[in-house]
Amino acid sequence: MAEISESPSKPEEHNPETSLKEEETDSGFDPKTMRKTKPGVKRLILAVSVVFSFILAFPLLWKSIEIYRAPLPFARINSFSAQVESDPLTFPCHFQAIFVGFDSRTSKSFSPNELESSIVKKMTQLSPKASQCGTCSNNHSVSVVVDSGSDCVQTKDYKPGCSWQCGAVDTVNFGAKLKGGDEDADELLWSLLGGCSESGFGGKVYSVLVVNGEGEVRTVVGKYRHAWILGSVSAAEAVSRIAEIFVKVFVNGGKDEGSIHGEFMPVGADGRIVLSFSLLNADPRDRIYDWDFDIIDKTFLQPMIEALQPVADIAVESQVLYHTPKSSFSFWDDKHGSHIFSTKDLPFFVNSNEWHLDTSIAAGGRSKILQFVVYIPSSKECPLQLELPNGEISKTNGFISPMWGGAVVWNPQNCPNDSESLHPVRQMISPQDLQKVTEVLMGQLRQIFGLKSDNLYVGLSGSSTLLGSERGFTEWELDVLFRQHTCFNLGSCATTLGSLSRLVQSLPRMIIMDEIGKQVKFSLEAAKLAQSNASVGVYDTSALSSKQSRSLAEDAFFHPSIMSISYYSFEHCFAVYSPFFLPVSMHVLMGALVEWKRYKKENRKYLAWKNKIKIS
Amino acid sequence: MDVPPKSSFILFLLFWFPIISSLIAVRSDFGEEEFSEDLLLKPLPDRKVLAHFHFQSRAPLSDSFGRHHHLFPKAISQLVQKFNVKAMELSFTQGRWNYERWGGFDPISSSNAKPPGVELWAVFNVPPSQVDTYWKNLTHSLSGLFCASINFLESSTFYSAPEIAFPPASGNLRYGTLPREAVCTENLTPWLKLLPCRDKAGLSSLMNRPSIYRSFYHSQRLRLTLSNSAADELNSGIVLEQTLTVLLQPQIVGAGMNYGSEKKLQPSWSLSSIFGRKVNGRCVLATSSSVFLQIDGDLFTQLENLQKNTAIYAADDIGAEELTSNHGFELSIKPDRVHKEVEKGSSILYEYEIKEYTDTEQFDLSLTWKHPVVWSSPLPPLHASRFLMGSGNERGAMAISLKQTEPTGGFVCANCVEERCELQVNVLQIVPWYIKVYYHTLQLFVNEQRQAVTDFVEKMRVSPSEDKVSPGLMELVLKFPCDLKSAVLSVEFDKGFLHIDEYPPDANQGFDIPSAIISFPNFHAGLQFPDNSSLSKSPMFSKLQEKSHVLSYTEVLLVPLTTPDFSMPYNVITITCTVFALYFGSLLNVLRRRVEEEKKRLIDEANKKGLLRRVLTKLTAKFRRRSSEDPQPPSASSSSIMSPRLILKVLIVAGIAVVWQYYSR
Repeated sequence: MAEISESPSKPEEHNPETSLKEEETDSGFDPKTMRKTKPGVKRLILAVSVVFSFILAFPLLWKSIEIYRAPLPFARINSFSAQVESDPLTFPCHFQAIFVGFDSRTSKSFSPNELESSIVKKMTQLSPKASQCGTCSNNHSVSVVVDSGSDCVQTKDYKPGCSWQCGAVDTVNFGAKLKGGDEDADELLWSLLGGCSESGFGGKVYSVLVVNGEGEVRTVVGKYRHAWILGSVSAAEAVSRIAEIFVKVFVNGGKDEGSIHGEFMPVGADGRIVLSFSLLNADPRDRIYDWDFDIIDKTFLQPMIEALQPVADIAVESQVLYHTPKSSFSFWDDKHGSHIFSTKDLPFFVNSNEWHLDTSIAAGGRSKILQFVVYIPSSKECPLQLELPNGEISKTNGFISPMWGGAVVWNPQNCPNDSESLHPVRQMISPQDLQKVTEVLMGQLRQIFGLKSDNLYVGLSGSSTLLGSERGFTEWELDVLFRQHTCFNLGSCATTLGSLSRLVQSLPRMIIMDEIGKQVKFSLEAAKLAQSNASVGVYDTSALSSKQSRSLAEDAFFHPSIMSISYYSFEHCFAVYSPFFLPVSMHVLMGALVEWKRYKKENRKYLAWKNKIKIS
Repeated sequence: MDVPPKSSFILFLLFWFPIISSLIAVRSDFGEEEFSEDLLLKPLPDRKVLAHFHFQSRAPLSDSFGRHHHLFPKAISQLVQKFNVKAMELSFTQGRWNYERWGGFDPISSSNAKPPGVELWAVFNVPPSQVDTYWKNLTHSLSGLFCASINFLESSTFYSAPEIAFPPASGNLRYGTLPREAVCTENLTPWLKLLPCRDKAGLSSLMNRPSIYRSFYHSQRLRLTLSNSAADELNSGIVLEQTLTVLLQPQIVGAGMNYGSEKKLQPSWSLSSIFGRKVNGRCVLATSSSVFLQIDGDLFTQLENLQKNTAIYAADDIGAEELTSNHGFELSIKPDRVHKEVEKGSSILYEYEIKEYTDTEQFDLSLTWKHPVVWSSPLPPLHASRFLMGSGNERGAMAISLKQTEPTGGFVCANCVEERCELQVNVLQIVPWYIKVYYHTLQLFVNEQRQAVTDFVEKMRVSPSEDKVSPGLMELVLKFPCDLKSAVLSVEFDKGFLHIDEYPPDANQGFDIPSAIISFPNFHAGLQFPDNSSLSKSPMFSKLQEKSHVLSYTEVLLVPLTTPDFSMPYNVITITCTVFALYFGSLLNVLRRRVEEEKKRLIDEANKKGLLRRVLTKLTAKFRRRSSEDPQPPSASSSSIMSPRLILKVLIVAGIAVVWQYYSR
């Protein structure tokens, strides 16, 4: 085709050249530098149009080899993580101080407004300067009631619906009632103050009751959300004690460090924990011990599992293992009359070769398994005691390992003698012993959750007794846990989503399934819900939805399709298309270039001839 | 009966109370979870010794099942609970069971001889539509639990659902094998972890890894059975059987024997010589712990004959006591019990109960042969083998041959229906999809005569393979007359092509066709002991008495398929792209071509080339020098000019070579 279309132009181009000899002389025509006709643009147009069509088709090709990526809300993720980082989550908390048996009219120091301002001042002193995540926000709302029996004065902004019924108690005998017994007193106060839990503010009002009386001052923190101070107490002392209980106990949970560190988080990324209890018979040849774990499960663990539900879904399982020696040796100590295992050897107590504690099939994916081990030493080292670094014998005879779990050494009452009993007796651990062991294990679980395991809080202004709950965790401790876990979960969710968005943006050729997009969306929504619940002060629901948001974020990050190797890299794409496009593009570009050069050259020739004609 | 009824009642109480109370105590203490361990030893005709370990754990199906356990492995109970497993069997095997030499008609061979590699079947307690999902999840859990690639069975091309020819067949069964799975200690260790004593104490302490993995055949098996009868509360529970079958070759330690007889004499062995270890004591958690020594029926008859011939022992009644110090061999320890089978071959079991031994006194059973004996193992009704026919990479044929084992012909009439004696044979053959079997080519040769298949087939179920979806499955129930000499089933197939991703690593090795299963439902392998000898409460003893189908596996076949060049896709891409690029480029060039101009340029070039050629001819002529016809003055002059240049060039090249040498060193 090309040749045929060329044919008409040939004579035009070649005629001058053939008849060049005669024209050279008459008009000064130089065929090397001049031409008489306009150069043709057909080939140039053709070559250039091919180049352009390639350039135009390139986006189409790019579109066709594009891989599917679900749109992720990058902007929302960024704003969410920026918000979580810059502005730590704090909860509104409501405090109430009730002074019973004090008369605001007799002494000016017991006027409610005065007391309120001094408590708030003291609390601001005690609480850290920078607002910590998972604590109460700095604008505490504190209300004060002064009840003298006959007269009852309240602060002005006292919230209705949760009022201390003035005159409901006999102020004179009330102190005596409270002195009777801590447990009874706690229940009594619960019946008086219990109404607060059902009313507004997310139901969380922390109260401290100061009861005027004789004798030394005693502070008790109950298992609900109240504490009481009993004794002859001055206004200043009462204020400092109240402030300390509010800030250090109710807000911080009686411990020094505030938030949870990532590596000490006992809850798995999917919001689950498996508590795996194992009874280890180090050497069953002498005596075999067995336990009735059903009792422990039903009486001790189930209430606790229910209580911790917003923080984690907990599953419990147990097993008995045999022939499980520990991996380090103990030594005999005459002073204690027992075998001693010192603290510095503790890292070698757990024998991972012989203790087949096993990962559970029930624990799927990213659940956390906490191992709780009851170790029964062999008869050769029967009373086995753990020694503290200061040389004393451990009272609990157990230890914890933060992310692994806990271990308790249980010594049978009468250690079997070394006389080899050829027929070992199989024995059950008595319910009393079992209860003791379980209590230690519960204490260990509390420690793993970051709470204190003893029942005494020693503060700056005196110590206070902490009452334990049969559920393992008291109401105010649960509040602390909910707040801290909400904070941790939201932080972890923000970092996970942030890294996911960074990862996705850094790998432009990675396939992203729709499911990931959905998970991210739901995770953000759950996080938002948690934040809004937190701002209202509903601790348990915010903990629940923050748990969801964290597990969804982790699910999105660890989605199998992201992990898969089948992601289509740019190198691969290049390797497939370059054998075609490299040679073709060379042809096309060279063609266009050559044609363009030629056209310019020929055009110059033509112009030169034109000039010549003009001059002549 | 003179005693008044009241006092007899008191006596009854006095007598029974301790036993009852102890029973109650045991019941409550153990939480009714039980464990027992057994070992069966058996000398084989080809100078080897069979050791068969049998561990059994039981657990009741209580509320806390799957969560709280005392003896039963928690991992298994969670598996059962999570995947609703009703029954399951998993075996890891290395080596092939030799049915002719090691027996094919006894409980050990029919239920413990397994195909090489991994075999897994499971029955689920879920609606049929969900069975596949549960199977897939189960394979993944098991592969994690046993450190094996059982998860490959997840793919639907690897498993199938036999219905009629597989013994435990029921609706929700799935069956799959991985013939090429290598079995080693990493599979044994998790298996041992399921035992309460692991290999720390008891019979399992015999499992010395080097001696087990040096064996000729070893098969570790795990079988779960769930007996869930609503009516019988006590018996509803789960039974976990773990068996390890090892075939060992005892070292010949014939010191005092003369050379001639040593060859014929069976090698004497002891536990320490075959395992390298002794039993230190029982696993304290086991309710029963015993070692059995089985003497085959044929061996026993041979020994009896030997005794009659030598006539040293004139005793005509062979009591249990005499059997211990038998005529042909001697046992180092006196057995606690001797069980003699009532009929059919009448093999003998010596039972030893393992008690607590000390370090100084260990249980080390040894057997010393006194006279050379030759005997044979009980053979299966038909000897089954399978082979490939045809050549090339395109098509082939596969044949299963069944041969009469008894030389005399004619079976002991197992189930004679009136006059006609029939022999039922079930065949299960699973073929991967890339072996495209033409089921219409199924041919049957009976006694080397071609016969119509329909004459012998009682029942047949074929589910053809679907490409990349499911394997082909053929189940046949065949009925042969008892005087069958041989029968051959053959079927033709085409070899398919796989997608490049579907080839396993080392594809050139070939592809395995899993073993076919041949079972004989009319024959039951099971020892029959008189009722009074059932004092032994060992579960293995009852297992040996259990009537199970005689079953044998055929060989695994290796089919070579055409294997592609695995860089092929890229080659194809490159070649296609190059062709396209060439076409496109030349098209573009043709479009841009100016014919006249090129012609002119060609002429110009031809002119230039003419000049060049002239020079070239001159040069060649110069090189030829004297031989050329007319040496011309210009050439002579050019040669004189060229010579210093040539020398210079040579010098430069030499210099480069020297520098190269210098630097490269």
